[in-house]
Amino acid sequence: MIPIEVYLVFAAILFAIGAYGVVVKNNTIVVLMCIELMLNAANINFIVFSAFTTDVLGQVFVIMSISVAAAEVAVGIAILLNAYKVKNTIEADSLASMRW
Amino acid sequence: MIFDSSIVTSVFGQFAPIAPMIVLIIGALVMPAVFFATKRRGAVTGVAMAVILISILFNVLMLADGYQGEYAGLFAYDAFSGVMILLFQAVIFLTALVSVSSSETTRMHYGAYNSLLLAAAVGMMFVATASDLITIFLGIELASITSYVLVAMKRSDPRAAEAAVKYVIIGGLSTALTLYGLSMLYGVAGTTNIADIAAALSTQGFSWAFGIAMITMIAGFGFKIAAVPFHAWAPDVYEGAATPVSMFLGTGSKKVGFVALFKIFLVIFVAANATASFATEEMQYIFAIIAAITMTVGNVVAISQTNIKRMLAYSSIAQAGYILIVMAVMTEYALASGMFHMFTHVFMKGGAFLVVGALITVGIGEKISDYRGLAKRAPFIAFAMTVFLFALAGIPPLAGFTSKLFLFSSAIYDNGVMTQWIWLAFIAILNSAISLYYYTRVVKAMYIEKGDTAERIRIPKTFAAAIAISFVFVIVLGVFPQLIMDFCADAASALFG
Repeated sequence: MIPIEVYLVFAAILFAIGAYGVVVKNNTIVVLMCIELMLNAANINFIVFSAFTTDVLGQVFVIMSISVAAAEVAVGIAILLNAYKVKNTIEADSLASMRW
Repeated sequence: MIFDSSIVTSVFGQFAPIAPMIVLIIGALVMPAVFFATKRRGAVTGVAMAVILISILFNVLMLADGYQGEYAGLFAYDAFSGVMILLFQAVIFLTALVSVSSSETTRMHYGAYNSLLLAAAVGMMFVATASDLITIFLGIELASITSYVLVAMKRSDPRAAEAAVKYVIIGGLSTALTLYGLSMLYGVAGTTNIADIAAALSTQGFSWAFGIAMITMIAGFGFKIAAVPFHAWAPDVYEGAATPVSMFLGTGSKKVGFVALFKIFLVIFVAANATASFATEEMQYIFAIIAAITMTVGNVVAISQTNIKRMLAYSSIAQAGYILIVMAVMTEYALASGMFHMFTHVFMKGGAFLVVGALITVGIGEKISDYRGLAKRAPFIAFAMTVFLFALAGIPPLAGFTSKLFLFSSAIYDNGVMTQWIWLAFIAILNSAISLYYYTRVVKAMYIEKGDTAERIRIPKTFAAAIAISFVFVIVLGVFPQLIMDFCADAASALFG
């Protein structure tokens, strides 16, 4: 049997890749995708803990968080679409008219 | 007995603990239908006000009667939830009241706007009653996702579009961090019930996984409450959004993060301290340092702002720093006074945002220089704004002075013994002095500097009513703090158990 640490390290690496992408990527759609990666890392954590303790609530949590993430992406894409209509760009660097 | 919660329990049965939310959910569902049927903004706001007032009535009955109950192990209504629900209801009441006459809110989609507003309030109230990580998470997300749409609803404004993009990305990041922390917490304790998690942690002590959970959750909730260094989104979003929405975010949305922090961290730390299973002092120091940096950065950066909405945004970052003192001191009295400060903050900061929104509606800009000579043009508005700003700075006998007095004194003395957090109280008082400088600049512009015209201003009636309500509460809570403070003390002892 694969020990629990393997899964947890896998989830942590996934989370780190997502966080790195959020920080360095300029295209906001890619940033949203990276946020999805981070959320899925947390979901993997939940499922692993749930499977190893045979407590079913972790899996309930994952179903909830997947639906929340779907709603968040739907709203996020709609907001990006609106920003593209108004400002003709969705690059993070050019969405910086307000500072300090 | 005047306050009898049996009306609520007999109508709602086992759902009584979430009765105030059920009423608002029904309201949120019928709101678009009302708008499409009547096509009148006034009718929608009328129905929304009725729904909110029924919800407030239920909550006051339950709170004053000392009702306690739980639903399905997910929600538990006690004094703490009651007081926090009352706070969110006050916020939604003021916001829904002024949205109808604001020139910045949407005209085409007013039904959906109100629906989202009520849904966001329901999410906040779910967090206040939650007794389980799942409901805390869902409540925060319900409040956040609806807020993203509310910010984006000022559709033609490029600043609003930009602010919404920033908000949705920072909000998503905060969600991901929080969820990762919650997953670690679940892994450590093996359950999602908060009381069970506290019990499990107080027997097994500190572990590296719990440390990771703490760090990611502090970051995640830090984004939500706009604590430095997670604050950069707040001024942009408050500036870009319609002013009623800015007010809703600054007074309501920010408190959700605090309620979640109190619910998770305080409960765990109190249980851990009771059994001495692990030392919470390092965690307290982390919160104390975040609090000190947050209030200093918020106040210092606010000095150089020329846009009043941005200035108020930075000032609410500073206020978040003051409230974070609760997490550092972690006594029952600190929690009670922190909750009281959250209450007065609703009326002080909410009132200031209401004045800004009313003036934008009648065509006065957002710059501080646009406020020149306002005292001649609108004496009541100028005076109300002065009172709100002085209350935020903490001038007696206004509400902000009383709540700051309680909050800072909780950091100095604990049961007659001087605590180690006296340096934090010192920094907070110094910061209050700094904040007086930039608040006075607005007052100076209104009263001393001469404006271009002396033409009188007439602001819409709903704005005048909302400003008057906030004004009365700022004065009354300053003179009679025990009106709310008694409930806050009950609430704090309910959470500390």
